[in-house]
Amino acid sequence: MDVAKQSGVLIKSKPVRSSRLRQEARTGLLFLSPWLIGFVLLKALPILAALIFSVTDFQMLTPEKTQFIGLENYAHFFKDAIAGASLFGSLGYFLLTVPLEMIVALALAAIFTSARLKNKRISRTLIFMTSIIPSTSIFFIFVGSLQYADRLFFTPLNLPPIQGFGLLLPFMALWSIGPGFLIIYSAMESVPDEVYEAARVDGAGPFARFIFITLPMISPAIFFTLVVNLTGAFGGAVLLDRGYILSFSLSPMESYINDVMFTQSDLGYASALAWITFGVMMTITVILFRSARNWVYFPEEDENAEI
Amino acid sequence: MRKSRRRGDTSTLTFKLWDFTGTAMLNLFMFLFLVAYLSPLPFMVIASLTPQVQFLDANAPILPSERVKLNYHGKDLIVYRVPTDDGEKHWALYKPGRQSSQFIDPANPEGEPIVWNGQWRRLKAVYQFKPTLENFKDFLGITKLPLLLKNTILVALISEIGVLCSSIAVAYGFSRFRIPGVKYIFFVLIATIMIPSNITLVPTYYLFSGHMLNWIGTWLPLIVPHFFGSAILIFLLRQNFKSIPRDLDEAAMLDGAGPLRILVSVILPQSVPVVTTVALLHFFYIWNETRMSSLYLGISPNLQMISFGIQRSQTFFFTPEVLMVGALVVMIIPVVVLLISQRFFMQDMIVTQIEK
Repeated sequence: MDVAKQSGVLIKSKPVRSSRLRQEARTGLLFLSPWLIGFVLLKALPILAALIFSVTDFQMLTPEKTQFIGLENYAHFFKDAIAGASLFGSLGYFLLTVPLEMIVALALAAIFTSARLKNKRISRTLIFMTSIIPSTSIFFIFVGSLQYADRLFFTPLNLPPIQGFGLLLPFMALWSIGPGFLIIYSAMESVPDEVYEAARVDGAGPFARFIFITLPMISPAIFFTLVVNLTGAFGGAVLLDRGYILSFSLSPMESYINDVMFTQSDLGYASALAWITFGVMMTITVILFRSARNWVYFPEEDENAEI
Repeated sequence: MRKSRRRGDTSTLTFKLWDFTGTAMLNLFMFLFLVAYLSPLPFMVIASLTPQVQFLDANAPILPSERVKLNYHGKDLIVYRVPTDDGEKHWALYKPGRQSSQFIDPANPEGEPIVWNGQWRRLKAVYQFKPTLENFKDFLGITKLPLLLKNTILVALISEIGVLCSSIAVAYGFSRFRIPGVKYIFFVLIATIMIPSNITLVPTYYLFSGHMLNWIGTWLPLIVPHFFGSAILIFLLRQNFKSIPRDLDEAAMLDGAGPLRILVSVILPQSVPVVTTVALLHFFYIWNETRMSSLYLGISPNLQMISFGIQRSQTFFFTPEVLMVGALVVMIIPVVVLLISQRFFMQDMIVTQIEK
């Protein structure tokens, strides 16, 4: 495999003078520098600053009156019913939509690996296409097609019309599977054929092959998709900006933070809320990573092992 | 449903039949799935071509149509379906009344008005298929579409240059250089993908606000961060760069090429699909962008970009057909771009190291 070849090259070229290695590291760091600077300026420092803001009563309009108030903002969170509801809303959104997205993406990818399926390229593009439709459009497409569904199916069949926007979330989730589907499909395509041949010789049927070979082999892709979806549910734009519809976000926690920030202009409390969300999300991520050791298959103990 | 590689033993007719049935079922299933999956889209096109009055009539047909009218002595009369003893007639309403109304038979417009007993309001109008472009005209009157398009393309182009240059350089740095601790730096890069935007939102907003940089109401907050590269794009590029054999770099290095030269003339020519994918992903990102726009461009209508601009006009002019036109207009360009570029798009989106 390529990886083995690459590390072979690395080992062969190892006995070089250390000054050349240092030179190489310096050039490499030079190439990394745009991201490193951006990371410090736009990620690390703001996260720290948010932590500092969160223990003050920092107001947007009167920054000079800011005072240290300790953990008061965090204490306030536990008395704030809306904040708690928003956090559970975000968690619920994650628990509702992410399994749906993952299962549909996995099933579609499994069908796509079949050699019998025709016109794969256009089907793949059509499945991905819905994921780039702006959220501005999605809301109106959804509401409009509900009206037509009422007129075409529900009214003639004397069924009650569909109420509210309960179906909007699953609909949005299904129309956002594009990136996850492509990641999982690429992973399935790259599983070596010999493994399947060996399993077939041993008498494994298609179902057994899927459960015992495909799923373990593509587990890094599943894990990656899961983490990306988790971030999306808590208010991040990973691959595509989804979520903002008519000034309220699909992630309830995110919209509540925006409300605290711009309507009440209480930056201290907004920062505390952001840190609480961050903490919850990091806890879930750490649990996922811990569990990943048991179910994610890491192919090589390479120096640059993935994820 | 896994890869079927049984072509070798298709000796018996039974097996061929099974094979054919399986293939047909699978393709039929995918076709039906796609029809169901994309079914809201035709409704959007239909709604955007439908005249506004049609939505007020519950008995109107689904397809865009208009009422059939009869020009009678300079006046437009609406034609209704009138039930009579001789069956249903299409008559134009001449003088509506509470208990009985007068109708004109379009087949015989010069004849005497026919009196019909019954409530005309209960009658159904006659429609004929006729799509309208009125909604598009209304929409163009409400939004400054050329301005929004120009802004979006400018922001997309400028930030595209920044995000591509820096992401390619960083991905090259991650894929080709032995740097002590690079494994941990890469882990941090992956971790930044998972950082939710709201944790950095407050300090970043304060940094860009009038208290510090005073960038609110300019494009700078939307463009400058991209010049530091995007973690997810770096990740995708690096995966691809790593799969390019090093032999070529080393050959170029022996010829005296420096790192930058190797990147430009060895790595990039072999990475056209992935660079196209990454460029398109960024374009779609900017096109869809409403989060940052709502924060930093809310006060400056002349700088707004398409998604946010149309979203704003939609909240002001809430009629369903015009909204549908907006939805259609805002999605059509990314969809066309995706369909054109489908040969390249996302060909190599491999996040594992299992190579075939």
